[in-house]
Amino acid sequence: MTGLPILEIDKISKSYGAVKAVSDVSLHVNRGEIAGLIGPNGSGKSTFFDCSTGLQRPDTGTVKLDGQDITGWSLNRIAREGRMLRSFQKTVVFKALDVEENLIIAGQMFTFPSLLSTFGIGRMSKQRISGLRDRARELIKMAGLWDVRHQPAGNLSGGQQKLIQFASMLMPEPKIILLDEPMAGINPKIIERVIETILYANRSLGVSFLVIEHNIDVVTSICQRVVVLDQGKKLVEGLPHDIIADERVREAYLGG
Amino acid sequence: MSLADTAQQIRRRDLRLPLVAALLVVALAAPFIGSRYVTHSLIIALIFMLPAHGLNLLVGYTGLLSLAQAAFFGIGAYTAGLLAVHYGTPFYVNAAAAGLLAGACALPLGVPALRLRATSFVMCTLGFVIIGQAIAKNWISVTRGDMGLSAIPKPHFALGPLSFTVSGTTSFYYMALAIGALATLAVWMIVRSPAGRNMIAIRENETLAESLGVPTWRYKLIVFIISAVFAGVGGSLYAHYLTVVSPLTFQMYYSTTMLIIVLGGGAGTISGVVFGSLLFVGLTEALRITPELRMIAYGLCLLVLVFWFKKGFAPVINRFWDLIGGTK
Repeated sequence: MTGLPILEIDKISKSYGAVKAVSDVSLHVNRGEIAGLIGPNGSGKSTFFDCSTGLQRPDTGTVKLDGQDITGWSLNRIAREGRMLRSFQKTVVFKALDVEENLIIAGQMFTFPSLLSTFGIGRMSKQRISGLRDRARELIKMAGLWDVRHQPAGNLSGGQQKLIQFASMLMPEPKIILLDEPMAGINPKIIERVIETILYANRSLGVSFLVIEHNIDVVTSICQRVVVLDQGKKLVEGLPHDIIADERVREAYLGG
Repeated sequence: MSLADTAQQIRRRDLRLPLVAALLVVALAAPFIGSRYVTHSLIIALIFMLPAHGLNLLVGYTGLLSLAQAAFFGIGAYTAGLLAVHYGTPFYVNAAAAGLLAGACALPLGVPALRLRATSFVMCTLGFVIIGQAIAKNWISVTRGDMGLSAIPKPHFALGPLSFTVSGTTSFYYMALAIGALATLAVWMIVRSPAGRNMIAIRENETLAESLGVPTWRYKLIVFIISAVFAGVGGSLYAHYLTVVSPLTFQMYYSTTMLIIVLGGGAGTISGVVFGSLLFVGLTEALRITPELRMIAYGLCLLVLVFWFKKGFAPVINRFWDLIGGTK
C-alpha cells in the first residue's frame, strides 16, 4: 500500500444560480481510512457528495480516484470503472425485487465485461450469475438477512433496507464507499449492526470510507478523521475529539 | 393439517403441461376449427403481438412509456412493401430489412428523445408517429402519397431450389404463428438475460441502478432500438398480409392499441402480451361482425380493465397457472 490518498478532491465549487452551494472545498481520504464529513443542514455536504461521485458536475475543481482524474465522469462510470460506490439518503433498494436480486444487480456490471455481453443467456453468462449469487448469499449472511433473502426488499424495515443497500455496495469489491447519512431514521439495534458491517468492510475487505453523518457518537466511534463543512466552505478538519471540542464547530451548529 | 386435506392435495394433479399441450394443439389446429374469419382475426392478433412485445420491453421492463411504436410499425410496413413491389425480394429479406431499418431509424430518434424526462419523452415519441405519417403522405415519389402502396405480393420464400409462396389465409396464419413464437422466444431470452435484470433495475429506480454501475442511458437506447426492430418486423407482416400500405399505417390508434395490449395484458409479463394481443386485437377484429356494438364493447372492456384489473390480466393468468399447478 502506498501513502497516496485513495480519493483526492481538489477545490471543488458548485453554484445554483447565485447560490454557492459548495465553494473551493478540498478533501482527501487516505487508503484504508474511515473519514467523516459533518456540518449543519444546508452546509453543502450532499452537493459535495454529488459532485464527487458524478451525479452532478462540479463547476470547477478536480476529483482524483486512486491517482486517476475522474472529474466529469458519469455516476455509472465512476461506480463501474472507478469502483467508488455511494449510497443515497432516501433511495435505498429496489423495492419490488427480493433481497438476493438486489445484490445480484449490484454485482452484474462488474462481472460482465461489456454491456452487450449482458444480453447473453449461455453457459458463460449462467456461470457468472451463479458466482454472483454465491457472493450475494455470503454478504446476505453477514448482514443478518438470510431469513428474508427471498422477500421483496420493500417489505422490510428501513434499517434492513439500509443493510441491503450496504451489502449491495460491497458486491463489486469497491475501493471506497461514500455513505450519505447511513444511520438516519434507523433504530439503535440496527445502528450497531451497520457499524459492525462498516468496520468489517474496512478491516477485512480493505474498503475506505467517507461518511456523512449527523449522529456524533457514530462519527467519533468509527471515523479516524473528520472534516466539517459550513455554508459551503471547509470550516475545520481534524481528529474527532478535537472537532467536538472546537469552538467554531459548536458555533456553526448552534448559530446555523 | 388434517388427513382429508392431504388426500385432497394429492388428488390435485398438475394440469399445466396438459393445458400447454392443449393450447398448442388449438393454436396449430385453429384454421381448421374456426371459420376463415377467426383465422383472419388471429393473424391480425399475431401481427400486433410483435410491436406489443417490443413495447413491453420498453414499457413493462424498462419503464419507458412510448407512443412511437406505430411509427416503427409503419417504417417496417413501407420497407417491406417497397422491396416486394419494386424488387420482388423474398419475404425473409423484406422482414429482416424492415426490422433493421426500423431499428436504424430508432437510433437517431432515441438519442435526443431519451435525454428528455418522462412526460417530455412521451410527447416526443408521439411526434415520431405524426412525422412518419407526414413523410409517408408527402414523399410521393417513393411512397405514392395518400394512394399508398398496393398490390404488395404475397410473401414468397426462395431457398435454393425450393421456392414457394404463402398465398392462402391458412398458410399465412402458420407463418405468422411461427414468427410470433420466435418473437416470444426472443423476448423471453432478453428478459431472462442479465440485461433483463438491469432493465428491471432501471424501471424500479434509475438513479440507484446508475449508482451501481448500470449505464442506464445506453440500456434505454438499446431497448428502444430492439423494440423498434420488433415493430418493424410486425410491419412487414402487416404489409404482406393486407397487401396495401397507406399513410394511415402511421396512426395513433395503432400506437394506443399496442399500448392497450401491453398494459391490459400485463406490463412486464410475456404471457400478458400474448393474451393481450389475442384479447384486444382478436376481439376487436371479431367484433367487426357487429360494427354498431364494436366500439361500445371495446370501451366497456377497457373500463372493466381500468377498474378491476389495474395490473392487467397477468395476475389473473398467474393465479390460474398456480391453481392448476396442483400441489402448492
